[in-house]
Amino acid sequence: MKKTKLGIFAIAIALFSACSDSHDDECHECHIAFDGPNGEIEVPINNSAGGEEFCGAELEEAEGADFSYTLTEDYIAGADTVPAGTYTEIHCEEHAH
Amino acid sequence: MKKSILLLFVMMITFSINAQIRGVVIDKDSIPIVDVEILIPDYDIQFYTNYLGEFSVDIGITNGSHLYLYKDGYESKISQYKDDTELVIILDDLHVDIDEISVTASYNILGNSKVTNIQNISIKDVFLNSNSMLESVTELSGVDIISSGSGIQKVVVRGLSGMRVVTYLNGMQINNQQWANDHGIGFTDLGLDKVELIKGSSALRYGSESIGGLLYFKDHPFVKLEGSKGFIASKFNSNSYLSSNQFGLKWNRNNLFFNIHGEYSISSDYRLPNNQYLFNSRFKQNAIKFSIAHKKNNLQNIFRYQLHNESPGIPGHVHGDPSTVELTKILSSYIDFNTDFKITRPNQFVTNQLFIYESNYFTDNSKISLYLGHFRNNLQEYEKWTQPAFNLTLSNTLINPNIKYLYNNSTIELGSQFSILNNVNNINQRLVPDASSINIGPYAIFNYEKDNLGVNLGIRYDYKKLKSIDNTVNNNKIFDIDYSKSFSNPSFSSGLYYKFKDHITRISYSGAYRSPHFSELFSNGVHHGTNRYEIGDDDLLIENANQIDLKYQWSNEHLGFVINPFIQHITNFISINPTDSFSGVYRIYNYIQYELVEIKGVEMNIHYHPHLLHNLHIEQSYSFLNTKNKDDSYGLALTPANSIKTKLLLDLNEYDKLSKYKINNLSVYHIHKFHQNSFAQYEEFTDSYDVINLQLGGKLNSKLEYNFLIHNLFNEEYTPHISRLRGVAGGVPNPGRSISINLKYNF
Repeated sequence: MKKTKLGIFAIAIALFSACSDSHDDECHECHIAFDGPNGEIEVPINNSAGGEEFCGAELEEAEGADFSYTLTEDYIAGADTVPAGTYTEIHCEEHAH
Repeated sequence: MKKSILLLFVMMITFSINAQIRGVVIDKDSIPIVDVEILIPDYDIQFYTNYLGEFSVDIGITNGSHLYLYKDGYESKISQYKDDTELVIILDDLHVDIDEISVTASYNILGNSKVTNIQNISIKDVFLNSNSMLESVTELSGVDIISSGSGIQKVVVRGLSGMRVVTYLNGMQINNQQWANDHGIGFTDLGLDKVELIKGSSALRYGSESIGGLLYFKDHPFVKLEGSKGFIASKFNSNSYLSSNQFGLKWNRNNLFFNIHGEYSISSDYRLPNNQYLFNSRFKQNAIKFSIAHKKNNLQNIFRYQLHNESPGIPGHVHGDPSTVELTKILSSYIDFNTDFKITRPNQFVTNQLFIYESNYFTDNSKISLYLGHFRNNLQEYEKWTQPAFNLTLSNTLINPNIKYLYNNSTIELGSQFSILNNVNNINQRLVPDASSINIGPYAIFNYEKDNLGVNLGIRYDYKKLKSIDNTVNNNKIFDIDYSKSFSNPSFSSGLYYKFKDHITRISYSGAYRSPHFSELFSNGVHHGTNRYEIGDDDLLIENANQIDLKYQWSNEHLGFVINPFIQHITNFISINPTDSFSGVYRIYNYIQYELVEIKGVEMNIHYHPHLLHNLHIEQSYSFLNTKNKDDSYGLALTPANSIKTKLLLDLNEYDKLSKYKINNLSVYHIHKFHQNSFAQYEEFTDSYDVINLQLGGKLNSKLEYNFLIHNLFNEEYTPHISRLRGVAGGVPNPGRSISINLKYNF
C-alpha cells in the first residue's frame, strides 16, 4: 500500500511537470494579410536576414502595431495580384493545413 | 459508590463525545446489503456497510442528524441518527431508476427537492462513463451545451446561458469570465461527486442572478475508513486523440480527513464526419485539488484548494466576416502529430485558483456555518504570438454566514452573502475595463413538510454597487469610464408540494433579478474569440425574471412519468446584436435591451422497466422550448432546438454466459433534435438531426473497470443550432464518430 501511494505521488509530480504553459514560443513565419477581391491573400515575408521565420524580438516587432513591410514588386497569387507597396497588416499565426 | 458514579459519568461523557453510529442495512428479505454508501450530508462524511451489511463508525454527530443511504438497484433512504440506538434500515428494490421519477429520498444542498424543482445527477464516475462532464449533464431534459469540441463548453438551461446560468463549486460561485461563449466552465469533473440543478430563478440561497438556473457541483465527500483508498484512471479518444489521466486518494485517521485529486489532459484537433480536422480545436489542461476536514466534538472545519490550468485553442478564427469564409479554410486535411498537439494562435491561457474555508457548528436542532471563499481567474487571450489581446484577472471573495434551524416539521435558514469582485486588466490593451463590485444579499428561507404536504417560502434582498474607473489609452482608443451605480432588488421563491398515493404535484413561483455585467456596460474592442467588435451600453437596466414551474409525476414498479410545464417572463432582457458597421474587418455588435422576453415550454420524462425483461430500462425525455422576443418578430438568439433523448440500458449481470466476457452493461443513447426555425435576426434556420451513442462497460476484475464508448455511431454530420461555430462558414459540424476506451483502477 505504501508503494502504491508513493507511486501515485510520483505519477502526479510527473504529470504536472510534463505540462508547462510555455509562453515562450519558437519561431514563426509571417505574411502580409491582403484583402483581395476573392478573400484574404497571404504574401509571405522575410526576416531581416532574408529567412522565412521570425524569432524573439524580431517576431515581437513584426507583430507590433508600428511594423510595416514593403513589397518591392507585385506578388501574383493565382488570378489575384498584390501590388508592390508598403503594408502594415502582418499576421504570423498558423493556418489549417 | 462515588467511584461508580464518577466512572459512569466519565463513560457518558466519553460516549457522547465519541458516539458510535452503528447499525445494519438489509433488504426486504432481511438479507444484508454490502457496500451501501452511507452519507452524513451535513458533515460531508461517508462510510460503507461491510460484507455483513453492518456499519459501525466513531464520528460523533448530533442527535437527529440525517443519514442518506444509497446503493445502485435500491431505493435511497434518509434515516435519522439517535443516540445509543442501533439502526436497522431496510432498502427496497428500485425498479424505476431515475431520481425525478422514482419516489426516492434524496438529499440536496440547494434545498428541499420536494418543494423546489431540483434535479441532481451523480457524476462521480463520469470520467469512466462519458466523453465529458457537461455532455453527461445534457442528458437532463432542458439542458444543452454551447461548444466547439471538448475544449470549450458552456451549459444552456431552458435557452439561457452565460451569466444567467450561475455555476457553484463547493459553495463558491465560479466567475470564469462567463460573459462570452468562448470562455468555458473553468473546471473539470476531477474529484466531483454530483451536480444539482435548479432551472429558473429559485436558487435563492445562492444568489439572485441565476435567472436561467443554477448548477451546483460538489466534490466527493470525505470517507471514514481509517486508512486510504484511491484510484487511477485513464481514457483515450480516437476522434481527437485525446489522452486524459486522473488520480485520486482519500485518507482518514480518527477525525482527520484528506482527499487529493489530480488530472492531466491533452487533445489534438477534432475530426469532422468528412475526415477533416477543425484546426485549433485542440486543448491542454491540468488540475490538482485537495480538501482537509477535521471534526472535533460539534465543530467541523474544512479547507479546500483547487488549481486548474487550461490552454484551449480558439477554432474558427477568421479575419473578416466569419459567415462568408469557406469551411475548407479552417479545416486541416490531416493531423500532424509533431505539431497539432502544440498550442497555436489564437488561444487562451486560463488559470483558476479556488480557496475555501468552512466552519460548521452543530447542535441537535441547528447548524451554524461560516463560509469563506476566494476564486481567482486569470484569462489571457492571444491572437499574436508575443502580445495578448487582453489579460484579465478576476477575483471574487465570498463570505457567507448561515444558520439552519429545525423545529418540528419546519426548517428555517437565515443568512447573508457578502461578495467582493474585482476585474483588473494586466496590460494596456483591453476589451473590458477595470471594474469592481460589492454585493450584500441577506436571505430567509422557510420549508415545511409533513405527511403529504410541503411548503417553501424564501425571500432575499440584494444590494450591489458596481464601480468602474478606466481612462486607459491604447491604440488611439480611450477608455473614458467613470461609472458608479447601485442596483438593488428583492428576489423570492415559493413552492407547494402535494402527494396523493402515487401522484406527486409540485408548483413553484419565483422571481429574481440580474444587474448588468461590466462587459455588457463597457465593452469596447475586438473580441477575437467571437470574431467581432463589441460595444457596451452603460445605460442598461436591471433584468427582472418571474417564473411559474409546475411538475407532476407518477410511477409504479414498471413505469414512471413526469411532466413539467413552465413559463418565464424576463423584462429588460440584455442581448448583443450585430450592426451594419465594421471596425476594420470585424463587424460591430452592440449590447441592447429588449422590453420583454417570454420563455415557455414543457419537459417530460418516461421510464419503462418491462416486467418480463427486468434488466432492461428504457428512458425517454422530451424538451420543448418556445422563446419569444416581444420587441420584434425574430426569436431569441441561441435557443436550443426541441429534442427527444432516448436511452436503452441493459444490465447484463444476470447472464452467466456473458459474465466470462466481463461485460456488465450495454446502453444505447439516441438524441433527436428537431429543426430550429425560431432564431435571432443574425442566425439561420438549422436542420434536424439524429445522433446515436453506444456504450459497453464492465469489470475486468474486482479492481479494474472499463468502458468502451462509440459516440456518433453513424458519423452523422450536424451542427447544433447553439454551436459556438454555427455562424462560421455556414456552420462547422460537430465531431464525427469517436471511439473511447476508458479505464479505472480502484485500490
